[in-house]
This record gives sequence, C-alpha cells and structure tokens, in this order.
Amino acid sequence: MSLNIKSVSLKLDDRQILKDVSLEINEGEIVSVIGPNGAGKSTLLNVLTGDISPDSGDTIYDNKPLNKISIQERAFTRSVMSQMQTLVFDFNVKDVIEMGWLQRGNSDFSSNFSLAFEAVTKECNVHNLVHRKFNSLSGGEQRRVHFARTLLQLWRPSKSNDPSYLLLDEPTANLDLSSEMLLMNILKARASSNVGILVILHDLNLASHFADKIAIMKDGEIKAFGKPEEIMKDDFLTSIYKVPIEVKHEPLRVHYY
Amino acid sequence: MKHTLLIFISFFLQQNSFANDCTPANDASRVTVAGGSITEIMYMIDAEDSIIAVDLTSNFPERARSHPQIGYVRALSAEGILSLDPTIIIGEDDMGPPAVLEQINRTGVEIAIIPERHNIAGIKSKVECIAEILNKKTEARELFNTRLDPAIEKLNIASGEVSENQTKAIFILGLQSGSPLIGGVGTSANGLIEMIGAKNVLSSFEGWKPVSTESILLAEPDLILISDRGLSAFGDVESLRQHPALALTPAAKNNNIIAMDGMAMLGFGPRTIFSALSIANDILEINDK
Amino acid sequence: MISRALSIKSSITEFISSKQLLILFLLCILTFVSVFIAIGTGSYDLSIVNFILGKNTGLQNIVLLEIRVPRVILSAIVGASLGIAGAALQGLFRNPLADPGLIGVSAGAALGATTIIVIGANFFPNLYLGSFLLPVAAISGACFVIFMLYVLTKGFGYQGVTYMLLVGIAVNAIAGVGIGILTYISSDAELRSLTFWTMGSFGGVTWPLLIPAIIIITISLIFLIPNARKLDLLQLGEPEAYRLGIDVQRVKLSIIFTSASAVGASVALSGMIGFVGLVVPHLVRLIGGVNHKYLLPGSALMGACLMITADLFSRVLLQPAEIPVGLITSAIGSPFFLWLIFRMKRL
Repeated sequence: MSLNIKSVSLKLDDRQILKDVSLEINEGEIVSVIGPNGAGKSTLLNVLTGDISPDSGDTIYDNKPLNKISIQERAFTRSVMSQMQTLVFDFNVKDVIEMGWLQRGNSDFSSNFSLAFEAVTKECNVHNLVHRKFNSLSGGEQRRVHFARTLLQLWRPSKSNDPSYLLLDEPTANLDLSSEMLLMNILKARASSNVGILVILHDLNLASHFADKIAIMKDGEIKAFGKPEEIMKDDFLTSIYKVPIEVKHEPLRVHYY
Repeated sequence: MKHTLLIFISFFLQQNSFANDCTPANDASRVTVAGGSITEIMYMIDAEDSIIAVDLTSNFPERARSHPQIGYVRALSAEGILSLDPTIIIGEDDMGPPAVLEQINRTGVEIAIIPERHNIAGIKSKVECIAEILNKKTEARELFNTRLDPAIEKLNIASGEVSENQTKAIFILGLQSGSPLIGGVGTSANGLIEMIGAKNVLSSFEGWKPVSTESILLAEPDLILISDRGLSAFGDVESLRQHPALALTPAAKNNNIIAMDGMAMLGFGPRTIFSALSIANDILEINDK
Repeated sequence: MISRALSIKSSITEFISSKQLLILFLLCILTFVSVFIAIGTGSYDLSIVNFILGKNTGLQNIVLLEIRVPRVILSAIVGASLGIAGAALQGLFRNPLADPGLIGVSAGAALGATTIIVIGANFFPNLYLGSFLLPVAAISGACFVIFMLYVLTKGFGYQGVTYMLLVGIAVNAIAGVGIGILTYISSDAELRSLTFWTMGSFGGVTWPLLIPAIIIITISLIFLIPNARKLDLLQLGEPEAYRLGIDVQRVKLSIIFTSASAVGASVALSGMIGFVGLVVPHLVRLIGGVNHKYLLPGSALMGACLMITADLFSRVLLQPAEIPVGLITSAIGSPFFLWLIFRMKRL
C-alpha cells in the first residue's frame, strides 16, 4: 500500500510551481523531501494531503484516486503536521491533543481514548503539560503538542492493518536538540510499525540519517530520488544549493561550512 | 388561482380594526389618555377627574403631569396600561404598536381613536368628538361659546390680513444630522402656518425632513416658527440667528423668530387656535412697523 | 442494548467535562427559575399561585396567558438565539469580538424588515403585517449581509481580528444606509413602525406571532448544536480542520445560514438588541471553558436568562411605562465590550 502522486503539475499566479512531479511513499518507509526555498516542497505536500488540487496529474491513496475518497475517510488514513495558526480561544493542551481523536462512530475506538491519549502524550513528552493552557506554552512546546495530536489521529487498535500515513512540513523548526531527536526517533519507530512517512526537512544531515529515501527538489521538479547514500553527491548538491557542499561517507555526513 | 393567491396573501396581512368614530363610551369613568391635545381638551371640558394616566406629550395644564405616565405613545406597554385598570384609552392614530392595542382591546378595554385634521375645523371636531365620547356635550358647548368661537373669529380676521401680506414662513422642529428639521406638506406645522394665513415656503416635500442651507435660502422665509425644544437644540435665539443654515434668511436678519411650547403650536387642540392667533397678531404688529 | 446506551452516553459526555455538564445543568435550572419569576412579576397585579389555584379573575388570566407568558417566552428564545448565534459566529470567524450586531447581521435583518414595512405600507396602507412575512424578510436581510461578509472576507478567510471588525463596521454602515434611505422616504405613518426597530422591545407579542418564530428558531438551534465539535476543530485553522476530516465550506454555510435564520427571526419580532451575542459567550467561557459542546448550549441558556432578566427590568423600572430592552442590554454590554478590547493581548 502506498501514497502516490503521478505527473502532477500546478500553476499559481502565472508561476509554474510543480512540473510533472511524481512521488511514491510506501508503508513503513520514511521519505524526506529536501531542497532550497521556493522549490515547491510545501506545495507538493499540500497536493498529497488534498489541500490543493493540481492542474493535471493524480493523487492516489492505496490505489484509490483521492477524489473518490471522502474528506472524512482521508482523515482516517493520513495525518498532517505543518505551519500552525495561533489559537484565539484559551484551550487546554489536553483539548488540543484531543482534537486529533477522530469520531469514527466505532466503539472499538472510543473506548480506547484514555489509553491512546496516555500513550501518545508520554511518548511525545508532553504529559506534564496536559493541564496547562495551550497559549501559555513556548513555541517549541506548542509544536510538540501538535505532534502529539498528529500521532493521536493515527492511533489504531493493535490488531488493525489499516494503512496510515504521516506527512510533516518542517516539524523540527524551533525545537531544541533533544526534542528534535525525540521527534525523529518517534518517526523511526512509527515507520517500523508500518506507517508511511513523508517529511520535509531543511537539515540535510537529519534527512540523510533518518530517511529511507530522499527526494531532492528544485524549481518545481524532483531532481533526484533514492537512498541517501546513493543520491547525496558533492557536485550534485552543490549545484542544487549553490553553496560548496562536501559529502563524506561511513558515516554519511554532509558538510557545508 | 387568483382566488387562492389572494387568500394566501391575506394570511400575511391583517386589518387594523379600530374604528375612528366618536360614539359615546360604554364606560368613561377611568380614562387613559395618549395624546397631549386630548388631555388639554379634557381639562377644558371639565372631564379631568376621569383621567387616570397620561402620555409624555400631556404637558398642559401643569397639573396634568402629576398623573401616572404611560410613556411614548408609539411604544405603549400592554401590561403597564392594564395595571392601572382603565375603562377606555383615548388617543390619536399614532398610538401603537398595533399589536399592543389589540392585546388591550381583547381584555375588554375600549379604544377610541380621535381623528386629527390640521385645521380649525379639525380642532373643532376633535373637541366635539371627545365631548361625545365622554358625554360632556354641554361643557363643550360652553367652551365653544366662551373661548373657542370668539378666538376663531379673531383668528379668521387676523389670518386674512396676514395672507394679504403673503408672509413667508417655515417651521423648525429641531436639528437632524446638522440641518434644520422642517415641516413640509401634511405636517401639523404646515396646518399651523396655513391657519395663521402665512405661506409655508418649504412645502415641496412631505413630512418632516432635514433641509439644506441652499434650499432654505432660496425660500427666503420672513418668519421662523420654532418649538421651545427645537430652539434648545440650537441653544438660544442668538445662536439660531447665527446658525449657518439660517443666518442669511430675512427672518434671521430681522429677528422675526417666534418660539413657543411645541404642543401649544402643533398639538391641534384648542391651544393651537390661541397660539395661531397670537402668532398672527405678532406678524401684523411686525408688519405695521 | 447496553452498548447503544453506552454510545449515547459517550456522545453526550465526549469532549465535555463533568464540571461543564454540571454548569449546563445549573443554567437549565436558572432558566426555569427566571421564567417563573418573570411570569410572576410585572405592573399588573396577579400571581401564578392564584392562577394554579384557579383564584384569578378572567382578566388576570388573560393578562397572564396572553400578554405576559408569550412575552417571557419570546425574550427567552430571542436571548437563546442571540447567545448561541454569537458563540457560533465567534467560533466560525475565530474572532472573540464577533457578534451578530457588530458584524452587521442584525442590521441586515432590520434592513429586510424595514424594506417590507415601508414597501408594504405603500401598497397596503392601514394594514398590520402578519406572522410570517416579517420574519422571512428579516431572515433574507440577514442572509444578504452574510453574503456581503463572505465576499468581503474572500470566503470567510481568516484575516485577523481587526480586519473582521472593520469589515463588520463597513457592512453595518452599508445596511444603515439602506435603512436610512427607507426611513427618509417613508412617511410619518411608516416611521411609527420603524422607530420600534432601533431600540428593541418584546411588547405586543401574541401567540400567533410567536409560534412561527419558535419554529424557525428551534429548527435553527437543532441544526446549530451538532456543529459544536467541528467548531472546536476549526479553531486550529481551516487547513487543519480539513485535514482532520471537516468539510469546511459546508460547515461554514450551515453555521452561517442557521445563525442568520435565528437572528433574523429574533430581529423580526423584537427589533435590534445589541451586545447579547457578544457578551454571553464570553461569560460562559469565563465560567466553564471554551469547548463548543459546552459553549453552544451554555450560551443559549445564559442568553435566555439574561434576556428574560433584561426584559423584566425594562417592564418594571419605569412602570407603567417601558424602557426599550435594547437600551438595557447596550448599557451593560458596551462597558463589557470595552473591557474585552483592553483584555485582548493582541489585536
């Protein structure tokens, strides 16, 4: 089972943002999308999530075209973490995380809420924040709370085989080192539970260490796609980023200053 | 089809069911009055003892104000009025809201609506109508003989003279959005000006409207009539004369400004006749100089 | 059988805390008590106890059943409508200063009603407008305003609290122009009905007038309440709400249409009454929290209590005359509005 976009093109305000882009994210795989600003990474993610419809091309969830899947069904299959807006009203942290708990009208799920909630908040290290007001948290803490919510949305009873996908746009921005590592390790753990993951990152080392595959984007196209050791090359990266880049192997490290 | 449509439409509309007639009341012992001119008349025909409540415009005579107050005649309170246990409500056709009148009527309280016309004949029939309702015809006769008919005669003479001079007048009620609020066709003010024998030179519109400086100047009014309350919106006579909208009029320049109590001028009870006479005499005096 | 009972229980208790449920229960009781007190108080001398014991005179019963009871019920449902519409609009626009009055919805309803009164008077003089025409006109006016808001905010896109308020001021001004023109061209006869609109009043309501309003408003409330959870999710922003499975456009249309209907019917019967939609949701949030499953019913109940009380004051403070109820709600609401603005950390 996989999440796909095939030959997707998109023009916005006379600019070609995506040019015939195709990408596949398999269950159990972490795909990281990297590239300079304006490459079209966020737009790519938005096409995948269904926020935007492309001018041409298809978005496919597990062999079903996206437009045949109801908005509610989509939420059961994939969850997204991206730029956050401020909360106008004074919700508790618990309320915010709980918003990820979708109502499926299925008692298999609803009776498990407290279990799932406990598990996710402990995992993301936010369970000591649960009774605080969300607006009183620091930027990094708020991010971790949103991450917990995103994970809660994907919770399944242990016997379930339903595919799930997690899409993240720069989730580590504003996170301190330990939170950054925590988040990436959680992603790794999820991948081994068969969740398919797409994560946009700016840190080339983080990407090459944690991702199974990397897609390098520039000017609306995917210039390279494959395993980190295979596609991270000095000349290639230098031409993409216009900054002298040196790649060392064993262990894989990208040097740019 | 047309028939069905009419029935359908009639669901949306209902007739206001109070007749404007002057038949004697079944029980006139406890009267709630909704209109200053009616209160005025009741005092003049010796019916004041049956008054149990009055409205905001009932300011004459002074002692009328001591009655319980029912408020603004267009925004009556059903329960409030009923709590005073009236047998009849007498008012003019601006009483409302209609739904409240319905409610009151349904409890058995009579509602009499006195027709109002803005001329001498109208005032006379108002007095006769109220007298008829309250069974005070003798007292009304007395009022006509001793006070009203003589005043009307003098007014007819005076207004005749005034109209020969073709005095140009306007009536200001106050200020609205910075411009003077002036009485056009169909207003009580228009009726008053005609009773005086003058000419309402701002009568190209209906009702009370704010009028621009240019229109006022074009009209060249010789005389400004204004209510006391309207005058207080300007401040005093001096500020009125200097107001940009009025300063260049002949009336302001010659200080031909007459201010009186609003109800006395526009209530169209007997006081309006006396006020009209007084104003007409003032005009003749001015013209004699 | 048991699992069905459990699932009903969980759908009631999900996303709402027991403290909040308790508050709602207390508000219910408070509403009943207010209704009872309001029906028993007024300028006319009568008592409910005597009514029950059959000791009232015929006239007392008429005053009680035909004048006082419909009036108290109207004030309750108008209060509930304005309260819940205010809460729903604040949630929809993610704007704590949204209020049907501030964003021009009430003015739109008044514009619709004014148009019918002035045009109706010109084609059918001496007639008193019947039960359905006025609420329908008012609701259409409210929907027209909401449509204008939609266009001006590019599909209700979130553009910041101040922008929303400015747009509301503009819309109020536009509706005000319409009402002003109609007022200007209307004769004094029509002004009689129009003056009523600016201040708000519950006087003169009768059962034939009330029943259609009760129907319209109850239906609106029934459609509004299931949106509670969706309103919570909308607080994360529209893209997020979509990603959590909400059909955002549909929710917007549903909330807007039901709020407009409830507000339109209320304005049709009682004129423009300001600030209730603004103040009530904030009070309810202060007492118990912000989630909409609690906030929406809470605002309806609190709105009803407040309005019943305001109407009680309007009838009793200057008896036997009445103070327009809109004056009372504005007198309390405007200082509260100022306090709200000062309290907001960022505009």
